[in-house]
Order: sequence, then structure tokens, then C-alpha cells
Amino acid sequence: MKLSARLVAVAAVLVTAACAPQTSGTSSSDKDEKTGTLRVWLFQEVNNKPKEQVVDSVLAGFEKAHDGTEVTVEYIPVETRAQRIKAAFNDPKSAPDLIEYGNTDTAGYVQDGGLADITEEFEAWDEAEDTDPTARQSVTVDGKVYGAPYFVGVRALYYRTDVFEELGLDVPKTQAELISTAQRIRAAKPEMYGIAVGGAYTYGAMPFIWAHGGELATGKGGSYASAIDSADARKGIEAYTSLFGDDNCPAAKCAGMGGNDTVTAFASGKAAMAIGGDFSHAAVEAGKVKGKYAVVPLPGVESGSIAPAFAGGNNLGVLKSTSHRTLAVDLMKRLASKEAQGKLFDGMGFLPTFSDVRRQAAAKEPFVKPFVETLAADTKFVPASPAWAQIDSSLVLPTMFQEIVSGKKDVATASKDAAEKMNEAFGSVG
Amino acid sequence: MVAQNTVVVEHKRPARSTAPAPRTPRGRRAGRTPWLYLAPALVVLGGLLAYPIYQLGLISLFHYTQAQVSGGEPTTFEGLGNYRELFADEQFWHVLLATVLFAAACVVCTLAVGCALAVLLTRVRAVPRLALMLAALGAWATPAITGSTVWLFLFDADFGPVNRVLGLGDHSWTYGRFSAFFLVLLEVVWCSFPFVMVTVYAGIRAVPSEVLEAAALDGASQWRIWRSVLAPMLRPILVVVTIQSVIWDFKVFTQIYVMTNGGGIAGQNLVLNVYAYQQAFASSQYSLGAAIGVVMLLILLAVTLVYLRLLRRQGEEL
Amino acid sequence: MTLVSRDGARRVNPVRRFVRRPGRLAAEATALLTAAVVAFPLYWMVLSAFKPAGEIESTEPRPWTLAPTLDSFRRVFGQQEFGRYFVNSVVVAVAVVIASALIAFLAATAVTRFRFRLRTTLLIMFLVAQMVPVEALTIPLFFLMRDAGQLNTLWSLILPHIAFSLPFAIWMLRGFVKAVPEALEEAAYMDGASRTRFLWQILFPLVLPGLVATSVFSFISTWNDFLFAKSFIISDISQSTLPMALLVFYKPDEPDWGGVMAASTVMTIPVLVFFVLVQRRLVSGLGGAVKD
Repeated sequence: MKLSARLVAVAAVLVTAACAPQTSGTSSSDKDEKTGTLRVWLFQEVNNKPKEQVVDSVLAGFEKAHDGTEVTVEYIPVETRAQRIKAAFNDPKSAPDLIEYGNTDTAGYVQDGGLADITEEFEAWDEAEDTDPTARQSVTVDGKVYGAPYFVGVRALYYRTDVFEELGLDVPKTQAELISTAQRIRAAKPEMYGIAVGGAYTYGAMPFIWAHGGELATGKGGSYASAIDSADARKGIEAYTSLFGDDNCPAAKCAGMGGNDTVTAFASGKAAMAIGGDFSHAAVEAGKVKGKYAVVPLPGVESGSIAPAFAGGNNLGVLKSTSHRTLAVDLMKRLASKEAQGKLFDGMGFLPTFSDVRRQAAAKEPFVKPFVETLAADTKFVPASPAWAQIDSSLVLPTMFQEIVSGKKDVATASKDAAEKMNEAFGSVG
Repeated sequence: MVAQNTVVVEHKRPARSTAPAPRTPRGRRAGRTPWLYLAPALVVLGGLLAYPIYQLGLISLFHYTQAQVSGGEPTTFEGLGNYRELFADEQFWHVLLATVLFAAACVVCTLAVGCALAVLLTRVRAVPRLALMLAALGAWATPAITGSTVWLFLFDADFGPVNRVLGLGDHSWTYGRFSAFFLVLLEVVWCSFPFVMVTVYAGIRAVPSEVLEAAALDGASQWRIWRSVLAPMLRPILVVVTIQSVIWDFKVFTQIYVMTNGGGIAGQNLVLNVYAYQQAFASSQYSLGAAIGVVMLLILLAVTLVYLRLLRRQGEEL
Repeated sequence: MTLVSRDGARRVNPVRRFVRRPGRLAAEATALLTAAVVAFPLYWMVLSAFKPAGEIESTEPRPWTLAPTLDSFRRVFGQQEFGRYFVNSVVVAVAVVIASALIAFLAATAVTRFRFRLRTTLLIMFLVAQMVPVEALTIPLFFLMRDAGQLNTLWSLILPHIAFSLPFAIWMLRGFVKAVPEALEEAAYMDGASRTRFLWQILFPLVLPGLVATSVFSFISTWNDFLFAKSFIISDISQSTLPMALLVFYKPDEPDWGGVMAASTVMTIPVLVFFVLVQRRLVSGLGGAVKD
């Protein structure tokens, strides 16, 4: 009977198990086969068809160029990526050759020993020189390159043109103006938030910290130290948290909100402004405010400056365990090529990671202009440390913002506590 | 108590006269048969439950993160280091206390609602009974992740119908610590009372009708009938539903995680399981997570053993 | 006699006779009201599944929609291999239900109808087994499955789910097995029936309602499981189960609530059908647990 065979297999494992926790060796494969099947994992988007079409056209070209190769693509739900990709590192047999991954995960995956160092191939790639510096930083750990940027996501300021016109307001040019404008709107229209902000919206808060000259952490490679409690960072935190209150976005409502909640509030007409991504465009278009809003880069401290934005996005990376390294790298380059990224923008609206392709995109689609401008001005990235994943998932920064806006702690204490937690995390992975 | 008077006839295997008297009338010199019957269960549980639990204990004694799992770094033995780290963390104790209180509230509410509705079911005709039964089964069948999302929708400050109906304006239910816990409690009760209700209802229906009629004729109130007649007769069922509720509610994860966005404003709504997840699994610190898992296991074990001991003192048999 | 009264209970509601009329009307009103409250979240779920995109999160929530649309359902059914997910879910759930019912029946018989050393210890072990936080066990289970070569197969879902449903099933079934009179067993042996024959031809049918009741639990926990499905089915999407089709809509930056609700509706319906099918048996079955 089949079941008994399975049980015997399980039992055999039990008997031979030693008394230390199990591990697996993901040493890099020394094979580099030039034919066979390549497995690719890409994220499944809610509306995935256009992405599939772009990918399929790339695959057709790839299979033609390499005789005797075949590519199977699996689209995996973003929600399950952590389990899947970690499992792939732990079980090379089920691992794909090439994966798409969120760029904040780069350092963690490298630390896990999952991604292959492809610095040489990347340097030799002619298209790579147009990759914008932040995107490049997002695939780099300790000076080595671990993938190719696939697309970027960046946030800017959405505002209601009709409300601004009605109240005779100008689009804010500095963060101080942003705060006062928000309060004036709230005063005139108490049913609305001036600007929707969220205590759990870390990526919306970061530009405030950066604009005031603060940093999340300083350092290089393995030795980061938190800078969230520095004087400059505290000014940024102060500015952001001053937006929580009855004069703009009441703490009772806004402390718990995340990025998506603020965009929803804006899309449904509950807020006159919000910090939303280029990827939020579709959601806003589907809402009540369609045709009544515009987007500009989020202002910085100085008049006319743009606040540094967080450059999110996804990368493609080759797994260390692949037995088709050359082929996988070639496929990665093709999928992340200028041509493919241009098509991906047309189909999905994902912003290209090449500066020149992005400019062309902005010319075609006016709505991406403010996002491209933001990217061109200055973008920053989270510390390239594997500890970041830990800091992120243990909600260190949301906790800090929420402690401040709910009045549990003042800025100095909360930022000091957050810095301690961050340093602990940086220390534990060092 | 059918077996009370049954003569224990040994079949196939004559009882040895020197054998000690069995503790209950059902006792029988069993030989290998029970082990034969138990074998499949023990094989499956041993392999797929006991062994992983053993591994869990082992992991909690090592420094074991994703880097160790995938072989990037060697595992190092830490002894009780993970436990020391855990117990030294002030937040752990806060979370532990919140978990115990929250679980207790959930258990009490679930049992109260479930039992009350079970009694109600016995007093109504087929149509209302079917309606309530179907609604309850629907709540039972809904995946926890969806149930939590829907409840959050219903109580949303801006988009939810509940505030509309109650005229609460844009009151936020998730901001205050207690109101957030209360909201989660509602969802937990909603999805777990059906089990209690259906089980207890079934139990009441199996109670001989003469007993209830006699009580009613004596003019006893509903509450009295429940206290003095039903509850004692339903004791075995109540034991099962209570233990199960304790086990399930202590391990609540999805509801807290989804409804309070990972533990509430500044972590005010964390419970152990979510805390473990955030401290450990989300950032792949498996050893710390394993230590929390072991601690949870021990607490539940202690609670259950105390409970069983109390039952036994009252003469209940397992 | 136990059995007789159980059958009797099904035909006449014993409690009804002593309930007075006005009281009953009040009780029925309460029951209907409670049913409405309990069902409301479900109604909201189905409603949201049919609402057009802009209406789901609107500042004027209405308990109806004037423009019902199947868009959300289209996104659910339009997923790659959705039918396959559905079939896989059914296969896993049915396999778990049958296997755990049979194994638990044998084990419950052993711990209730025999007395042997370690019996109480075993019972407590079965209870303890339910207390482990499942999340914590996925790591060791993952390695177990990997080393046994079962990752990416439905077995990696079936086997752990059997193991996780067993303790509860055994614990619940004890009551049912106990309820079968000892005399019946003795009589069977007198008639020359073997132990095996008694077990399968007499005890098994009598305990069947209880098995149905416990199956509900293994069915639901297996059907709704996300954790194992996303941890053990790594590289072979053709072995995925339904919850994966729901998780697609939970995207961190732009969750698709319409899709979530539609997928949840699709997931909940089979369970409800299963419930309605076994409802009678569930109630009469669970009743057996109280008998002694």
C-alpha cells in the first residue's frame, strides 16, 4: 500500500535522526548545466495577466536562444513569499533557479546564504550602467551584487484639487506648509483629515526623518548603529507625529493606520491629502475621488525641495543552489532588461529601474511624472543589514510612532527605546 | 451507568485469581489488544507530533536562526540562554498576563453564550431552531482570517455599518486597549460559540425527558433547572468544551494578528502566540520562538492538569 | 436502553412539552434575532463579494448593493489552476477525515473498553498533544517532510493534518464508545463473534454518529489551513490548496477586499454544504458524548 510506504519513509527519517536540530547545506552547486529546465518564481499580482504576457514573450526569446532549455514559471502569492523562499533555501530540491523578491529582503536572503553573488555578470551587463543608484543599492550587500532590480515603487503626495481650489489653498512647498495646510483643511472641513497619516505607516514617515537630515541607521555592512534617536531624526519624528491630533488626523483613528488605510481614506474622500505610491494609483482611480486629485512630490524642509523617498520595489535574483547558473543569469538579464521593464510598465504600471526607460515612461503616462521626479531627486533605502527584516517584522518603528501619538512616551524616550531595540537587532546578526 | 451491574465475563483469557481488582467495573485484563488498536494512532502521533515536539524542545536550547537552518552558519548550543533572554524581557510578562486574562474572558463568554443558546434551542420550534443552527454553523465554517477581516470591516471607524447604526460617529474600536481586546473577543466568541452550543444542545437532547419534566412540574426556574439538573448531567460534555475552549483561546493567533494589525497600537494587544510570531518566526529567530512555544505548552499543561485533578477529586473518571 | 432513548430523542423533543406558550414566543423571537446577528457578518462577506470595487470601502456603508457584480468572483475563478486547488483541497480533506476517523475509532476503543497500564497517561498525552502551538511545529515538520521526500506532495498536508486531528478526535470519541453498553459486547461474544467482528460490525455502526461529529472538526481545520499549505507546498503549484487562492488577494500595499470576500465565500460554501448534510447526525451524534 502506498500510504504504508510513505509512513515507512517518515519512520526511517525518525530513526536516523540525530539529536541536534536539523539544518541543510545550501552550498552553491558546482554544476552549471547548459540545457534542461529552469524554474522561475515570480510574485502573483492581483491582476496578473499583463505580467504573464510580458514574461511569456521574454521566455519565447530565451528558449529560442538556448536550444534544449525549457522554463517553467510559477506565480506565488506575495503573502506566502516568506515561507516559500525560506523553504526553497532549506530544500534545494524544490528550489527554483530564479526568484523575484522584495528589495527590503535582500540583505536577509544574502545572510541566509540563499542568493548567488553575480557581481561579475552584473558589471559586464551593458544595460546595467543605466540602473539608477538607489535601485542598484537595493541589490548590493557589502559591495557585492545579488540580483537585478526589476521595478521600483515610490511614494508621493496625493491631494484633492477640488478641496484646495474651494479653500483657496496652494500646494505646499515645504513640510511646515504641508502641516499648516493640513490643519487649515481640517479646520474648514472637520469631516475630513487634512492629510491621512498612519502610526503604522513606516514608509510614509521615513521621508520626514530623512528630509530633516536624520537617518534610520548609520554604518556599512555588518556593523550598523541606529540613528533614530539623533537630534535630526527626532525633528523628523516630531514633524510626522505632529500630524496626529484633532487638528488633522485624530490619534484615535490614525495611530493604528497603515499605508493602505491612508490611501483608502483618501480614495474614499475622507482625506484631502495622503502619501501614496505609484502602485496606489489604481486604487485611487477606483475610488470616489477619481478626476478630483493630483500628485506632486512630497516637499522637503527647504522650499521647493523634494523629501527623500523610500525606494521600494522588487528584484530578481539567482539562487545559490541553481545548477544552471549561466542560463539563470541570462534569463534574469532578459526579464529585467530595458525592453521587458518598459513593457511591464505599459502592462502593469510598475516603474522601471533604469533612469532612461523611466523618463520615456513618464513622457507616455503623465501620472507617473511626480513619482519619476521623486526618484530623480533623492531616494533612500533601508539599512542593508539582515537585521532590518527583524526590526521590520517586530514593528519597532510603528511601535515608536504609536507610543508618541498615543501620548504613552515623548519623542526623546520613544526614539531612544526604538534605537535600543534596533541596536540589539543589529548586534545579534553581526 | 449501564455497566455497573454487568458481570465482567472474561472472554478467551480467564482472569487470573491473583490479578488485582480493576479500578472500575469496565476493567478487563487486556493483554495486547488495546495496544494493537492504539498502534496506528501512536505511530502517526509519535512520528508527526511527538517527534516534532521533541525537536522543538531541542531547538529552544540552541542558537537557531534562518542562517543556521540553511547552513550559512553553524548551530551553537545555548543551554537555557533563550529562556533566560525571554524571562528577562519585561514585555514577555506583560504579554503573558494579557494572554491569560484575555483567554479567560474568551472562555467564559464562549461557554456562557454557547450554553445559553443551547438551552434556548431546546425551547423553540423547528424554524427558529434551524435558523439559529445554520447561522452558527456558518460562523463556524468561516475561515478565521476572513472572519477577522469581516468583523474589522463591520466595526471600521469610517466604513463600518456598526458605528452608523449605533450612532457612534467615527469612534475607533481598535485604539483603546480594552475596546480593541473587546472587539477581538467578539470575533473569537462568534466563531467558537457554535461548537459549545451544538455540543451542549446535543447533550441536553440526550437527557431523559422525564427528568426535565419532573423538574418543570416542581416549578423550578430555567436557571435552577440548568444549575441543579442539566449542568450535573452534562458534566462530561462541559468538561470537554471547557478544556477545548481553554486550549483554543489560549492559542488565539489569527484574530489578534489581523484585527489589531499585528498586536495593536504600540503592541498593547499582543498575546503570546502573536508575540512569539513577531519575536521569532517573522524574523526567523526560531530558537526564541521555540522557547516561547515550550513555555506555552507548559502553561497549558499545568492548567489542564490542575483542572483534571479537580475533576478527579470530585469523582469524575477520565 | 441508552440507544433506545437516543433514538427516541430524535423523534420527540423532550423539552418542548413543559414549555409554556408566551415563554416560547419570546424564546423564538430571541432565537431569530440571535440568528440574524450571528449571520450578519456572513451576509456582509457575501455582500462585499458582490459589491463593485468602489463601494466596499465607502463612507456610506449600505447593507445592500444596487450594482451587484461578479467581477470579484471572476478574479477568484480566473486564477491559474483554480479548479486544481479545489480538487486538491477536497482530496486532502476527505483523506484526513476518513483516516483520522478510523484511527481515532480504534484508539478510542482501546482507551475506553480496556484497562491497561499507562491508559491515563496516554489520555493525558492526547490532551497535551493538542496544546502545542502549531506555528512552532512547522519548522521541525518541514525538515521531517523534506527528509522523507514528501515536500510538495499532498501527503505533506495529509499526514500532519491526520496527526493534528487525532488527539481531539480520540478525546471526543471516548464518550461515544463508552455509551455502547458493555452487555452488548458480551452478548456478541456469547454468540461467537470475534473481537474484530464485534469491532467493525457492531461497535462501528453504533459509534458512527460520533464519528460524523468529530469529522466536522478535522474537516474544518484541514479545509481552512493556510499554514501547512504555504510551508510544505513549495515548488509544485499543482499541489496547492484553496487557501492559496485566497491569500493572493492579501497584498500588503493593496489588498483586494472584493477578491478576499469572494474567495472566502467560495471557500465557506463547501463547508456549509458539508455541515447541512451532517447537521442531523452532528446533533444526535454529539448527544452521545453525554451518555454514560
